[in-house]
Amino acid sequence: MDERDIKRSILSTSADEKRIYRTRINKFKKSHFLYVILLICLAVLQFISIAFFTRGFLLSRQVLTNISNHTMDSNSLEPKFDKAVILIVDALRFDFAIPVDENELKANDLYHNNMPVFYNNHIDGGSSLLLKFMADPPTTTLQRLKGLTTGSLPTFVDAGSNFAGEIIEEDNLIKQFYLNNKDVWFVGDDTWDALFQPFLSKQSVPYESLNVWDLNTVDNGVISYFEDNLKSNKWDVLIGHMLGVDHVGHKYGPNHYTMKEKQKQVNKFIEDIIATLDDNTLLVVMGDHGMDHTGNHGGDSIDELESTVFFHTKKPNMFNKLDDSEYNVSNLGKSYRSVNQIDLVSTLSLLLGLPVPYNNLGWPIKEMFTNGVETETVTRIMMNQLLSYKESIGLDFHNEKKTRVNNLLNQISLQDNFTLGHQYESEFLELCKDLWARFDYYSIATGITFMTISLILLLTITELIPSIVMSQMVNEFAPWIGLMTVVSNICFFSVYYVFRTLPIIDNALWCFLFATAIGIIIGCCGPIFDRYNFAWIFSKSWQDLFSDYWSCIGWIIIVLHACLFASNSFTIWEDRIVTFLLISLGMLTLAEFVFLPRRQEPNALLTAKISENEGTTSGVSASTANSDNLPLSRFARLLGGYHSLVLIICTRVASMITICREEQGEYCTPTFTTMSNNSMWCLALCFLTIFIIPGCIKGYYNLTSSYQAAAPIWIDLFLKGTLFINFIYWLLTSVENSDIDYFEQFDFDLNIARYTIARIIAGFSLIAANIGWAMGPLCIKLNVHNTDVKSRYATILGYMNIYGSEYFLLVINMLMAILLFNKPLAQLSICLMCNQMLSILEIVDLLKLKENMIGPIALGLLSYQQFFSTGHQATIPSVQWDVAFILTDKINFPLSHISLVLNTFGPHILVALSVALVTLWKQQPDVLKPQTLLGRIVSNCGMLLTYNTVLCLSSFIWVTVFRRHLMVWKIFCPRYMFASFCLIITQVIIIFGTVAFATSRLIQHINDIFWR
Amino acid sequence: MPVKAKKNIKKKVTFSDDTTTTVSRSNNKAASEFIANHPPVFVRKTFRTIPWHLLLLLCYYIKISSNYNTFTLLMMLIPSQFFYLMYQFNKSTIYGNKRLKLNLTLSFITMIGSFLLSFPTVVLVILYGAPFVEHLALTWLLSLHTAFLAYPALYSVFNCDFKVGLWKKYFIAIVICGWLSCVVIPLDWDRDWQNWPIPVVVGSYLGAFVGYSLGAFI
Repeated sequence: MDERDIKRSILSTSADEKRIYRTRINKFKKSHFLYVILLICLAVLQFISIAFFTRGFLLSRQVLTNISNHTMDSNSLEPKFDKAVILIVDALRFDFAIPVDENELKANDLYHNNMPVFYNNHIDGGSSLLLKFMADPPTTTLQRLKGLTTGSLPTFVDAGSNFAGEIIEEDNLIKQFYLNNKDVWFVGDDTWDALFQPFLSKQSVPYESLNVWDLNTVDNGVISYFEDNLKSNKWDVLIGHMLGVDHVGHKYGPNHYTMKEKQKQVNKFIEDIIATLDDNTLLVVMGDHGMDHTGNHGGDSIDELESTVFFHTKKPNMFNKLDDSEYNVSNLGKSYRSVNQIDLVSTLSLLLGLPVPYNNLGWPIKEMFTNGVETETVTRIMMNQLLSYKESIGLDFHNEKKTRVNNLLNQISLQDNFTLGHQYESEFLELCKDLWARFDYYSIATGITFMTISLILLLTITELIPSIVMSQMVNEFAPWIGLMTVVSNICFFSVYYVFRTLPIIDNALWCFLFATAIGIIIGCCGPIFDRYNFAWIFSKSWQDLFSDYWSCIGWIIIVLHACLFASNSFTIWEDRIVTFLLISLGMLTLAEFVFLPRRQEPNALLTAKISENEGTTSGVSASTANSDNLPLSRFARLLGGYHSLVLIICTRVASMITICREEQGEYCTPTFTTMSNNSMWCLALCFLTIFIIPGCIKGYYNLTSSYQAAAPIWIDLFLKGTLFINFIYWLLTSVENSDIDYFEQFDFDLNIARYTIARIIAGFSLIAANIGWAMGPLCIKLNVHNTDVKSRYATILGYMNIYGSEYFLLVINMLMAILLFNKPLAQLSICLMCNQMLSILEIVDLLKLKENMIGPIALGLLSYQQFFSTGHQATIPSVQWDVAFILTDKINFPLSHISLVLNTFGPHILVALSVALVTLWKQQPDVLKPQTLLGRIVSNCGMLLTYNTVLCLSSFIWVTVFRRHLMVWKIFCPRYMFASFCLIITQVIIIFGTVAFATSRLIQHINDIFWR
Repeated sequence: MPVKAKKNIKKKVTFSDDTTTTVSRSNNKAASEFIANHPPVFVRKTFRTIPWHLLLLLCYYIKISSNYNTFTLLMMLIPSQFFYLMYQFNKSTIYGNKRLKLNLTLSFITMIGSFLLSFPTVVLVILYGAPFVEHLALTWLLSLHTAFLAYPALYSVFNCDFKVGLWKKYFIAIVICGWLSCVVIPLDWDRDWQNWPIPVVVGSYLGAFVGYSLGAFI
């Protein structure tokens, strides 16, 4: 039986009825369109508030483009070297470079004692110096390069632009080389090319840097380039940037034998350089940052900050070493003398006889200057530079510090004392750090206000106003909003052109955003206050939102989750707490099914009754439509208890997969590691999921005998097939990562196979399968009793769940894509997520909570729980950057970004799509009008958005409260960024995926068939 | 009469879960007005039910015992709960129209029942997120505590042949306070008493205290 036959058999009705149906579906189309417009406007309002808050919170530093010139007076220093070789070994942590006693607790021969070249030379008595090199957070390569060349501090907002470096406008070391006619030859990481392209020699060879799977290309390139050019005389400065150590860290973590090989290779390379250096050349080897115990970096833990710097020259007695006790290597060099990373700029400038870059904030390294006259000159030069910078940036010290600093200045002006100068520099550095952590409170307040208003509007529009009234009101919103946006834009732009210097609207773009937000707010309030007033909204929200037991539970969950951000410890342990809440919710439903307490909720019952009666448009008997009032049957209780148990157990099992954040320390053992992801047992489990996921979904479909027609094709063919190919992909990846060199004997490039497979899956699941879904795959079957030929009765199998079964196929499409972009352990977690999600839907259906807010909230909670159990944390280093290379071998605008988003926000995307299922799961086709159905879906989507908005708002407020907290950049700020991204992603998916695309297709398609 | 009406409402709320039992019983014995207005089994509203010994035990646990000795606490809890049941809780419980004497055999069976109850409780606590393998002994100790805190209520359940849902709230009080007490575990105060399972033990004691004190009034 195919679909057309059913259509024909059912559609044999009068023309009149058809006409009524046409008008109804047209009405639906129109109001659907207006709903989408309204939701988009609300989303825009929220995006604007995020933009304002971000602008206020993540201030960027003022960039001065002044350039230092040579001052032609006695204050210049003779250059000590003519030429320099600068080698940057990415992620060279300090303990890699010093000897570590093997009996020490943390000693590990995989990454310790493999690079003796530094310390051996240091103690040899020649002109070598090894120092600890303290980076400033954030410890990403781009920010560190900026710091290493400008001598200035980065701001947090830079960290996001790690991918897209732009040419540095500020005065910097490389520019000074260029201006002073020194030829800079460069080889290595192409970030340099992006930052300094005009100042580098044409001979430079940049290499693709962000492909962390590739361990050797860049390093071999650097080594061969050095071999070719080290002895030539054409360059003045030769710069190499090696990425191998960093990439090994990202790929395997430090605790891997590859790290040993890599370090030995680098060691050998440096030994070779030292052997070939001539007398007049300075060699500087340094790391730009360290790495944490997982091999990642980006944060500000001590392991990430501690790097290495090593100076070497063949000239004797160039460095004036301090007392030996300063260079204490015991206990992983804990008390070893350390210098700031930004100190390198002034040091190199002075050693090579260049002017110190204008924005420099560092102080030269003491050991470099041997006699008294020299240090005095250096102090003079540096003080001139610092004071002129201070003057041009217009800074002054606060009152209590002012006298102390002025005293210091007076003393320095009397005698050019190096140490006093250093003191002054540190005071000035502190001042700058403080200034650049200053916030724009007007923008922050605007962001928070807009977000609060958007939350109220969202609640009012989607929850409080009854959906019937809403369907009449919805056509008023669009014109109101359009008009008001224009009006407010005109008003604010006129204000802007007159005053120009108002605090928030200080340029055209922000003025436009501000005016648009105001326009949307007024435009939304217009139709609402046309019919209602504040008193109504308050009383209605009191009645509606706290009407029954489950709504109260829902609010408790939202409020508890939002309150987590009020404390750093709760934010750190958010993963466990979210799991705890979800399990508690499961326990409550379990108790509900087991003990079946009767509660008095006349309000809820009444509304349910009315809406159901209204919704009955045909055929269904009153008893079926009002089945909400009947108590649960014994079988339903049993089934419900089973689903609750599935939810609880799956959540508990999934919670065992975790990538611990650094702050969790000893209380957490990471299970989501590279090693376990590539292990045999994990892959074996992944292989099992090929059969488990389709099997489970099939089980849920069979509950309503919906496993018909399209369902077997989708689930048994598409899903199983994709899962199998996906398994092969991850098998290949794991083989490539393991030490089996089996494939190397063939002349066969695994990468090509991997990219092909990945692209096939991505293309199929994201494009082809969705087009297929848009054609409308029904999961029903006509079951004609063949024994009686004349019988005119037939059963439609899967009728009970006709909406849900079809809609879930779309979720499966997304599931296939998301599984590809998740690592094997995370795939297991998502496999559990399928069960959790479907169980929640079943529970919501059994408890008749389809219109209650608990459904979307349970799903929202699930998305956060799964975010953590798919190997993520709300921190920057835990972003799985390596998945950006699943589809392409280099950063490519849409593909890499899609991979990252699908990896990081996979659970959120799945939940945002399936929130419509709260309404649609087990929804019979002819009970509700299309309008009502749409209204309920929007209402449920609104609840999920409310949940995310509350979290976002709470993180805004708490990050502002804690802006001076020690941990703000490490805990609160990443959490606020994560909350903003969650909100944005959920908004986009709900509006364009769930409401605009899926719901309208589905409702129209099913109503075309079952419209009577 | 207004007093009566109030009591009627009360009855409904308390027995909302199993009106069937309640109704059938009161129909059978609808002799005196007292019984008509009272459920067949109930706890008198007296201050005698307040379990002071739990506060004393907590005091011992927190102040006196060295290093939060959870095991000794359990050893002290079991007899004191028995005496509490015998002299306070059972004496305040009215079955039909009269108080029943403590059935010693049943109270020992309940002891075993409490002990057995601790095993499902272990599963429950682990499902809620307690470590699975490590600290299993501690988790079990916690479960024993909660199980024996519920001992008087459990005895009453046994004594009523599992038919009266009145005792549910005593269990719920212990569980809810145990649930709430998890709040302090993640805080980074680095105190000894944040170690597993001390906060939950203290929480369930407080829950039991509140539950047994107010159980009759709710």
